[in-house]
Amino acid sequence: MSVLSVRRPTPRAQVGKAVAVVALLVFTLFPAYWMLVSAFDAKAGLGTSFVPAEPTVEHFRFVLTEGGFDVFLRNSAVVALVTVLVSAVLALLASVAVARFRFRLRTQILLMILVVQMVPLEALVIPLFVQVRNLQLLETLLGLIVVYVALALPFGIWMLRGFVAAVPVELEEAAYIDGASWGRMFRSILLPLVAPGLVATSIFSFITAWNEFLFAMTLLGGATENYTVAIGLRSFFGQFSNEWGAIMAASTLITVPVMVFFILVQRRLAAGLTSGAVKG
Amino acid sequence: MASSVPVAVRADDGPSSARTGRPRRSWVARSRPWLLLAPGLAVLAVLMLWPLLRVFLFSLQDYGLPQIVSGEPNWIGLGNFAEVLTSEQLWSVVLPNTIGFAVLAVSATVAFGTAVAVLLASLGTAWRAVVSSCIMAAWAMPAVTGTYVWVWIFDADRGVFNHVLQSLGLQDAPVNWFTDRWSFYAIVLLNIVHHGFPFVTVTVLAALLGVPRELIEAAEIDGAGGWRRFFSIIVPQLRQVFAVVIIMSTIWDFKVFAQVFLMPGGAGTNREVLNLGVWSYVESFGQNRYGFGAAIAVLLTLMLLAITVVYVRTILKEEEL
Repeated sequence: MSVLSVRRPTPRAQVGKAVAVVALLVFTLFPAYWMLVSAFDAKAGLGTSFVPAEPTVEHFRFVLTEGGFDVFLRNSAVVALVTVLVSAVLALLASVAVARFRFRLRTQILLMILVVQMVPLEALVIPLFVQVRNLQLLETLLGLIVVYVALALPFGIWMLRGFVAAVPVELEEAAYIDGASWGRMFRSILLPLVAPGLVATSIFSFITAWNEFLFAMTLLGGATENYTVAIGLRSFFGQFSNEWGAIMAASTLITVPVMVFFILVQRRLAAGLTSGAVKG
Repeated sequence: MASSVPVAVRADDGPSSARTGRPRRSWVARSRPWLLLAPGLAVLAVLMLWPLLRVFLFSLQDYGLPQIVSGEPNWIGLGNFAEVLTSEQLWSVVLPNTIGFAVLAVSATVAFGTAVAVLLASLGTAWRAVVSSCIMAAWAMPAVTGTYVWVWIFDADRGVFNHVLQSLGLQDAPVNWFTDRWSFYAIVLLNIVHHGFPFVTVTVLAALLGVPRELIEAAEIDGAGGWRRFFSIIVPQLRQVFAVVIIMSTIWDFKVFAQVFLMPGGAGTNREVLNLGVWSYVESFGQNRYGFGAAIAVLLTLMLLAITVVYVRTILKEEEL
């Protein structure tokens, strides 16, 4: 049954639809599939085979040992986790303020948060490079973390605001009637109820920090030991030939966590923890 | 202007003041929103607003390495902007690569994403779930790795695209697709559409499923064909959704950076393929002309700001902030 039509589709329409679905799946999945095939193929790029001609895990072994990707993965994990923790706390506090209180300049602050998300990173990278340099944090992970917190924050506030607003005010009132202070209400009512939103927001911050490329390249400069995965990939590009098998193996290592998290976010976003809480 | 009057029983009123109308709130309760906002706002002010002001100040200076080291200003007025706006590079290469590409990419992404949404809406629930999950995989692919995979597919020596064309007899020798401006941007377009259409599909699909069935049914009984039903019934119902989707895609496609920068020749060696973002970066960090690069970045920011204003007005129409 179609949403756009109430009639039964004809057999010809059915076949056409099947063809369209197959073509769509080939288009969407081919790059990821090709990445995996090349990563697991000792003869990547030497023939036109669409399955690994000579299956191997050698590329993965190479990138994780000689390639130094173990270090890059650890750096990225540290940067992403600290970014997530700090930005989640800041975003939660700010989102409660804009979702639960009416105060002067509230609309202006919301608009500001919306607008700064549109600012191109290319405009921020010049002054932030100078700023981080003055703080003597160039080539350090800390400098990168500070920038990523700021990049993740506006979207985090914007998204969490919706989750906080979705918590029924009646629950808060009930807590006050039971004699709870604002702090107690925040800890025992609001925090558990926005937890799914907090998880979803955190995963988005994680992905932002994990994928970011421009600032990592600019702020880390030549400090190879502090490289994150996004710029670590570049070390496999030789001057004359590229190690494509290794590049695709490393790309697989970067992409898999992001894909797993994406699927998690999808589920979490749908979870309605507050539904039915008021009816009790 | 937001009012300071609480709209419902506000958390900071406490249970007793709620009954007495206009509450007499304590200083702590009144400043609570600001206390909650302070850390976040401080971060945004120092790392977003101040840099934004500063990039504008840099754009008015001949700002190079000596100025970065000494911290001394070196004002030259609007010199950088004059140089950018009179540059042949801007009008013949950079603006077409930025605006022309964004127009093309947005049209392609929105058209393709909507077509896929219509296809998904016509599937059964199980298939819809399976296909949507696969589409998510395209969305989840990070820009950096996604770009490298496309570069690998189109690689001149060992890429699968050249292999297939040659084994089909369509070309005799491998072609380097990255040297020509048009084929370079065709690959960028493929990359952007592949990465961007899932957002359009998911958003439009959610809205499609919300269109009342009675409308479709009535139109079908009246004899309206598939295209007619789509453009006369569905599109008007989804106007707001399309507005948001188009504006968001426009903002993203103006800011394409990694997808160009990481391609062979994209990092400044091929002057034919520069767009505003890459040009700004290459002039700043490649040539140490930070002032000139800042002027280009300011132009890009102003363009995005104009689009953002439209976006904000669209949003304000839909919901109260």
